Amino acid sequence: MALKSVETPPLRATGTPDASERELLERIARSKDQAAFRTLYGSYYQRLSRLLSRMSVRREDIEEVINDTFWVVWTKAGEFRGASQLSTWIIGIAYRRALNALRRAKIRPVSDEPFDEDSISVMSTDAAETDGQWLALGLARLPVEQRMALELTYTLGHSCEEVAAILDCPVNTVKTRLFRARETLKQVLPALAGMSGENS
Amino acid sequence: MNPRIPDTHAEAWAMLPWLANGRLQASDREWVEAHVSQCVECRGELDAQRRIATQIHRDNIQRDVSPNPGSEEQRSFNKLWARIEASEAAAPAAAVVTGGPVSRTSRTVRWLAAAVVVQGIGLALFGFNALQADSSHFVTVADAPTERLNAPAVRLVFAANASMADINTLLTHQGLSIVSGPGASGNFTAELSVDAVASGASADSVAAVISKDPNVTFAQPVAR
Repeated sequence: MALKSVETPPLRATGTPDASERELLERIARSKDQAAFRTLYGSYYQRLSRLLSRMSVRREDIEEVINDTFWVVWTKAGEFRGASQLSTWIIGIAYRRALNALRRAKIRPVSDEPFDEDSISVMSTDAAETDGQWLALGLARLPVEQRMALELTYTLGHSCEEVAAILDCPVNTVKTRLFRARETLKQVLPALAGMSGENS
Repeated sequence: MNPRIPDTHAEAWAMLPWLANGRLQASDREWVEAHVSQCVECRGELDAQRRIATQIHRDNIQRDVSPNPGSEEQRSFNKLWARIEASEAAAPAAAVVTGGPVSRTSRTVRWLAAAVVVQGIGLALFGFNALQADSSHFVTVADAPTERLNAPAVRLVFAANASMADINTLLTHQGLSIVSGPGASGNFTAELSVDAVASGASADSVAAVISKDPNVTFAQPVAR
């Protein structure tokens, strides 16, 4: 069998992101539209890569998780009822697949290493670089559920209700996870949290 | 000093991340903003959360170190698409169980589809074993195991920037059909059609031609 034609580069979606993406999903469900599928894949590839990387999913597993996620999108497109945002549905699938990948790889998604302030570069005069190092250390100390709540809120800009849908937990649990994440980060990120008054 | 109702403060405090990212529901935003405007502690925390959000954004950009993300994405999509095609080719094979008398041609097509699935599973197992193996043990494209083939075939690797349209054109012109792939090395196996063989094409001749195509980085006849 020859590979079927898929338009590249992907089509550009129009209108609001969710409306455009739903239109693409309807085309996939209705007529197995390959171009629509390619476009939807392209619009999620980068953000899912970032998110999975933050979850400590191994680099070699990230592609597999993304493709497993879009395998579900391709086969279940007609079953999406629109009760939530499409992004919530897709990212929720990826999150659950990633948890499975972490379990298979026997990866503990939280660092057990004691926090070492000396590992922050004392030579760096670039405040942004130093902040980035603090942040990386801080995030590594968070349990994956807290890290994801933070990432979904601040990087992907989801509402509390959407984060709850993606992580499949009550809204109050999301608030609690983020509350704890903020407390932990504040201990690790004095400059960012404005505790020291420097670098603000 | 404004009297602070403890519960209001605690609830507003919990919602600050969504005030910071602009996704607080309108009904909540009104009272949370009203509280923050009067609460020094919450204003400081809101400011801190905004800085953390900015830093996470910045850090994400710095982590995007892939030299060619578009190519990586396309390669990844190609793998998924090959998997979907193999699965959809297998679907008719499953229908054999429920069908009545079938023609010889139909049986052949279904058998071939089932063979593709078996080959796919074999290649997947091969890929898994390769990943598990010591990284010092290299398996080259040419070393990939030979599948059970029904016609002369070539093993090939497409260029990272080759579009699906280019690949389709190339395969159609040469009378090739993908029967398995991508393998652990990103290689595909393609068989020559009956018509192509009848017109004198061989695995050697086709491999020689397509190896010069800019959309192909590797092509070799498969020994049968």
